[in-house]
Amino acid sequence: MKWLRRFTERALSEKRLDSELQFHLEQRTADYVTEGIPPEEAHRRARLEFGGVERFKEECRETHWENQWDILVRDFRFALGSLRKDRRFACAAIFALALGIGASTAIFSVVDNALLEPFAYKDSRHLVTLHLRDLDQADDWRGLFLYDEFQEFSKKNDLFDGMVANLQEDVVYSADENSILLAGNYVTPGTFEFYGIAPFLGRSLEAADYQAGAPPVFVMRYKTWVIRFGANASLLGKRFNLNGVPRTLVGVAAPRFAWGGAELWMPRPPGELKITRSFDGRQYWGVVAHIRPGVSLKQAAANLNVIAQHFSKVYPKDYPTHFSIEVESFTHIVTPREFRRALYLFSAAVGLLLLIGCANVANLLLARATTRAKELAVRAALGASRLRLVRQLLAESSLLAMAGAVLGILLAWAGVRTIAAVLPDFTIASETVIEMNGAALLFAVAAGVCTVFVFGLAPALKASRCNPEEALRDTGKGLSGAAAGVGLRNTVVVAEVALSVALLFTASLFVRSFVALQRVPLGLQTDHVLSARIPLPPDRYKTGAQLQSFFGPLLERLKSMPGITYAAESTTRPPYGGIRSEVEVSGRAHSDKWYTLFQLCSEDYLSVLRIPTLEGRRFTEAEVKDARRVAVINQTFERRYFDKEDPIGRKIQLDLLRDFPDAVKEPQFEVIGVVTDARNRGLTEPIDPEVWIPYTVTGSAMRGLLVRTTNDASAMIKTVAREIWAADPNVAMAEPNTLDYFLDLFTFAQPRFGLWIVGMFAGMGLLLAAIGVYSVMAYNTARRTHEFGLRVALGAAARDVVRMVLRQGLRLLVLGMVVGLGASLALSRIITNQLWGVSPYDPMTLGGVAVLLLLIGLMACWVPARRATRVDPMTALRYE
Amino acid sequence: MALEKGAQEKAEFLKGTLDMLILKVVAAGAIHGYAISQRIQQISKDFFQLPQGSLYPALHRLEERGWLDAEWNDTATGREAKFYKLTRTGRKQLEAEMLHWEKLSDAVALILRTA
Repeated sequence: MKWLRRFTERALSEKRLDSELQFHLEQRTADYVTEGIPPEEAHRRARLEFGGVERFKEECRETHWENQWDILVRDFRFALGSLRKDRRFACAAIFALALGIGASTAIFSVVDNALLEPFAYKDSRHLVTLHLRDLDQADDWRGLFLYDEFQEFSKKNDLFDGMVANLQEDVVYSADENSILLAGNYVTPGTFEFYGIAPFLGRSLEAADYQAGAPPVFVMRYKTWVIRFGANASLLGKRFNLNGVPRTLVGVAAPRFAWGGAELWMPRPPGELKITRSFDGRQYWGVVAHIRPGVSLKQAAANLNVIAQHFSKVYPKDYPTHFSIEVESFTHIVTPREFRRALYLFSAAVGLLLLIGCANVANLLLARATTRAKELAVRAALGASRLRLVRQLLAESSLLAMAGAVLGILLAWAGVRTIAAVLPDFTIASETVIEMNGAALLFAVAAGVCTVFVFGLAPALKASRCNPEEALRDTGKGLSGAAAGVGLRNTVVVAEVALSVALLFTASLFVRSFVALQRVPLGLQTDHVLSARIPLPPDRYKTGAQLQSFFGPLLERLKSMPGITYAAESTTRPPYGGIRSEVEVSGRAHSDKWYTLFQLCSEDYLSVLRIPTLEGRRFTEAEVKDARRVAVINQTFERRYFDKEDPIGRKIQLDLLRDFPDAVKEPQFEVIGVVTDARNRGLTEPIDPEVWIPYTVTGSAMRGLLVRTTNDASAMIKTVAREIWAADPNVAMAEPNTLDYFLDLFTFAQPRFGLWIVGMFAGMGLLLAAIGVYSVMAYNTARRTHEFGLRVALGAAARDVVRMVLRQGLRLLVLGMVVGLGASLALSRIITNQLWGVSPYDPMTLGGVAVLLLLIGLMACWVPARRATRVDPMTALRYE
Repeated sequence: MALEKGAQEKAEFLKGTLDMLILKVVAAGAIHGYAISQRIQQISKDFFQLPQGSLYPALHRLEERGWLDAEWNDTATGREAKFYKLTRTGRKQLEAEMLHWEKLSDAVALILRTA
């Protein structure tokens, strides 16, 4: 217990230390006195021989463990004071460190989550999806397959050891007066075992559930269960009325399972399956396969191609003339190819950011060490031991590192949150959880903290080792060997400026492209339009007449309501138009295949979207009611297929209608009008020929609703839902929202995300470059304090000194800019396909970036330059 | 300048050997700080030009390591003083350091004589 007493009796130990040293002095004095020296002189000599009493007391105290805490506190307090004295340095260092850590961690986390670990599925590295590619058009023909194809693929194939398929289906859940629409998926046997995901609650679908005559069951998605059903565990085993069939909820899937973006999964029963959600009466399944380890994607594709060749003869309509099946790795399907490449580019930039952040911190620390070489030398001369100096600098470094790391972690956290928030839907897999990557954070923090300690302490060791006298006599050049690092430091600045130019340039291109995209004339008006899909129960709505019995009265009532000006039935949602079909035009021969988009709609469709008529007229309510064979075409159709002949009164034939379940025997339509072109393949793709015909000619195909309102369209959702329910309680709207919302989601969201990321990068690159230029210029001017003093003493004006410093900085800036512009031009080729309406070599953008960077760089030089002029020549020279 | 530097190097070098000298002096029996300093100066014939006070941090360090034990006792003159004595581990340390030193000086002596 002796050690504990020592801790509690520190006052006593202090007294004893004093007494011990006093004893020594007394004895020495007494000895001198016996030698005959007068007491006063004896005392003086004793003290002289002893050395600084307080200093040795301090050194004694430092050896005692019970004082370590006090010493630590003292060191830190001292370090805090000395950092506070040099606030500009401290802020710059902490900020550079935090930025490096925060930015690299945030971006890396997103890349890792979105690209490297998007799924929590079993062995997802070996999972692949299949695509049918049209070799003549270099186009993705379809990524979905008929059930027959799927069965054939999975049976006749030995390169895969598992294959499952899913089919999207709209599910109306009817409970009393409220019907809601859920996104369902039919899945094939073995799906849950295939993905290897244990259920969160209850059980997954099992082999018996897929048997003929098995009681209908389903599994719910975790998110749906939480949001729509309040995470109510007692729902398990309860029957839900889904699409008129009572189904038992047997389980809730694991939180990260969201295959097919579904809200519920149902087993596909054997035999024929009837579904609501069908484009043209056929069922297309998404196929996922597990490739045997060691089998290459090419081998697998070759194998499937043989089977597909056979199928193309059975179903000629479903295959282009020349095609190939492509097998794509699972992780690749979640992010578009271009986006992926951009992300990889970003990850490389992230590494650079971290490196540059660390280089900046190192530069700042070296600059500070130089200006402090004298202070340290003085302290060493006054008797501070090397240990003391090292410990003090260690304390300073720790403070910097801690502050930088804490701020960096905060930045990383905020960054991940921000990116996750602005990440548009459908950019990444719905299974993906964007969260902070612990390993990346640890790595970034470790790299930053190591930099601080290495560069914070190295000069300390050097300073404390060298002879104080020598350092004091030094003419202000600081540490020997510092000059050798100038080349390296300048290189770092040039690299920073170059990177910053490249990032800024890329960001500006994205901005300009985004602005150009928003200025694209749509040819139709999307404001004040409500849009929704209307999945109808297939057993009761088979024919055009049956459809009319639902939509006719509904549209009539909607139009008569206050706040609604027009209401129309539609097939697809603008600016994407219609169903693609082969088309024949009477009296016009052609050797190649002609295609057009066609839209099954009611008379108000063109009015809702405010598409103006050019020639002829539109069809009337009566014509729709009678399902008359009349058609309105767009300008592109007229230009391409009529070649300056008058289209009015001519016949066109839409071949696909013949193949619909509710087939149109002779699908010939008389052209009665031409309307102006409106975008029908998104904003950036060229406009295709398009035809509008009365929706009543067939009962097949997906249907939807477009409503033009006088006020905010989203406010009308409830009203419209009530009217639909009144028309048929078993029908619900799917995805009701404003047309502007969808336009934003499908058209602007992804470019905006790119803009965000690149903008963030550019901002950080700019900041880091500014800090880099500042730190190096501060270092350089600090080293030349003496020289500047001399110049001022010899008559140089402050202006001349500023000019000297600025010229030095300008040289680095210009060099960096030249390198950066070269790199940007090389890089811009990569991002060309993400740009729209702006050249990747845009001279305006290049010039703007150069000017901006020059201004910021000169500003960073200005601060140390001003400080150089404030050097008092006498102070600077007195160091000699 | 060169001379100054030489002197400083000597001081740095001696700091390291001071511990061994202290242990050696204390090995003879309980002894207070002032007596240790007198003794070292006496034996080394004033070779060590260290300020006398620098002895104390060394003593405290050795005590902290457990190589020395300290006790407050009256001196012959009746004044209370802190007496140091060697602990068992301190004696082992002294032996180890002496052995090491002998080996080193033998080797150096051999080189100086024969080379």
